Amino acid sequence: MKNDMNRKRALISDAFKVKRKRNGTKTFGAVDEGGGPADMKSTLEYLMTLFPRKLFNDTLPPIVLKHQLYSIHDDKTLVDKEVNKLQESGELLMFQLGFDSEAFGLVFASDYKAKVLAGEEGKVTRTTVDKFLEKVVSSCPDLSFSKDKMLKDFLFTDSEITQLVKSGVLTVRDAGSWWLSIPNSGKFTKYFIQGRKAVLGMVKKSKYNEVLRADLEERRTTSQVKFPIKYHVHDIVGAELVESIPTTSGTLLRFADS
Amino acid sequence: MLGFLSARQAGLDDPLRLRRAESTRRVLSLTLNPDRDVDRIHGNGINNIDIDAIEGRYMLSGGADGVIVIYDLENHSGKQQYTCSPVRTVGRSSRHVHKFSVETVQWYPYDTGMFVSSSFDKTMKVWDTETLKPAEIFEFEDNVYSHHLSPIARKHSLIAVGTKNPKIQLCDLKSGSRIHVLQGHRAEVLSVRWSPRYEYILATASADSKVNVWDVRRASGSLFTLDQHNGEKSKASSQTVNTAHNGRVNGLCYTTDGLYLLTTGTDDRMRLWNSATGENTLVNYGKVCNESRKQLQFTVSRGCSPEFVFVPCGSSVAVYALHTGELITMLRGHYNNVDCCEFHPDFQELYSGGKDGNLLAWVPVVRTADVEEMSNGENKGAANLPAVNPAFQDNWSSDED
Repeated sequence: MKNDMNRKRALISDAFKVKRKRNGTKTFGAVDEGGGPADMKSTLEYLMTLFPRKLFNDTLPPIVLKHQLYSIHDDKTLVDKEVNKLQESGELLMFQLGFDSEAFGLVFASDYKAKVLAGEEGKVTRTTVDKFLEKVVSSCPDLSFSKDKMLKDFLFTDSEITQLVKSGVLTVRDAGSWWLSIPNSGKFTKYFIQGRKAVLGMVKKSKYNEVLRADLEERRTTSQVKFPIKYHVHDIVGAELVESIPTTSGTLLRFADS
Repeated sequence: MLGFLSARQAGLDDPLRLRRAESTRRVLSLTLNPDRDVDRIHGNGINNIDIDAIEGRYMLSGGADGVIVIYDLENHSGKQQYTCSPVRTVGRSSRHVHKFSVETVQWYPYDTGMFVSSSFDKTMKVWDTETLKPAEIFEFEDNVYSHHLSPIARKHSLIAVGTKNPKIQLCDLKSGSRIHVLQGHRAEVLSVRWSPRYEYILATASADSKVNVWDVRRASGSLFTLDQHNGEKSKASSQTVNTAHNGRVNGLCYTTDGLYLLTTGTDDRMRLWNSATGENTLVNYGKVCNESRKQLQFTVSRGCSPEFVFVPCGSSVAVYALHTGELITMLRGHYNNVDCCEFHPDFQELYSGGKDGNLLAWVPVVRTADVEEMSNGENKGAANLPAVNPAFQDNWSSDED
């Protein structure tokens, strides 16, 4: 009887080897079968180590982009689900970074709180920001807030909201709603876009618009690129700005013109 | 496959399982086959194709030159090599031909005696297949992007029409009237689709990045708008912020059971929605290149175990697994952008047409005959000559007996 039930539960798709990308050629030795939630967290922690804290004088918490995870784990839907789970549990915060509607920044909640409070030392707006972090950020993992919500659910006054915008924790989305944001992240965005353009330029300038991933990671970067090059490589692979092709001499990155 | 067959025989498995397994295997092995061809009639690009739902025998195609062609897909010649030939054509010489490009064509869902075509010449024509004359012409003020007849409707015979005007018109086939108008969009309506599950539910996609789902029996507006961020985050902020995509939404497709709706947009994304609640299932298909300024016709497989989505992506057709978002394969073969594709559920074949004017037929790879083995019982598919093992040839017996 038990065998019968097992047979009924077996997926037909398991009977066929659905084509999988050959993964033996990946030089990077991370886990590339999307495992349980722990794996996503360890990938996030690895990517956070690539973030250059010194560049921003330690004022910013380490930011990772969601699509960088796609370059490490194959199954995008799984990545999305896991990130969602971490968000719901309150460990991870997601931000709309503004330069691309699809680019979401991820920061560990603990890092975020620490840095924001550190940045607020000695400022007038400190208490409001404190209150905001306590009430709002801990309880609801949203990307944006509307005026109604702020006034009614969380009981903030108009002047308090202005203070929050001034301190950089909220940025205006449209009349009456705000995005959650990271204070002083303007510099991050600027350097990031600059670096991304430079790295993409490196791929474009190569013969045939393609370069081996291992080669690219070894190259000396110009002064335009402030982040470690691996950070940018994960970004362009995950955002599908370059195609990642497995070859016998390693992964090849080819510029995807669209 | 033998495992499935013997399990079916012994009654261990449901008969449907074998059918699904074989359909899935066939879809996974789709390729271009030199034996299967579609006659090239269109001089310019092909915008839309439709295979009739009753027999699956005739295919309608509408081209950018205003020409409509009806092909016979069935192979009665007995030979391996078959070219799908056109049965009837509404060519440029016909008095009733559309003046500009034909955007959408659809068979009448209940028989092939009638079909409806709509075009950029601001008309929608209901044709009689026998005489190839329009039985009815609906005129509009703007270019017609898309129309759809409900495939399951019994109580109504409405054609939903999406034009450059943000109002969606419902034309009644029985009475010829078109007083029913659905208001709610703010820009041109690129695609309309009736649900294959409920005859009164209609989904519409527009260039204002929104997808609305309507119940046409209701007097008030749409039932709900699809929101890619799933609700609470932007609900309090006015409804205008609810967008299904970050660009124009130009493709709509319901799954065969009507439980899910797929949408594609010019933000290079494809999304899968729960059609009852409007919730984004957050399946991530990655970048689905989409630059079309008009309707994009894509399709879902039917009868397979993980269902597949076939979506035109540049000059190839991408095949994704429906619920996991995994890219299975890219079908390359067209020389220019692909605009439309349609799945033939009975034979698991895919037909695609594009700007290069070619209609390609993607056919599952047939199992080749086992030549070396003695057991000829396993030979499925085309075995033209029974291959004789040289060890069994002798000098005295002849083949003519």
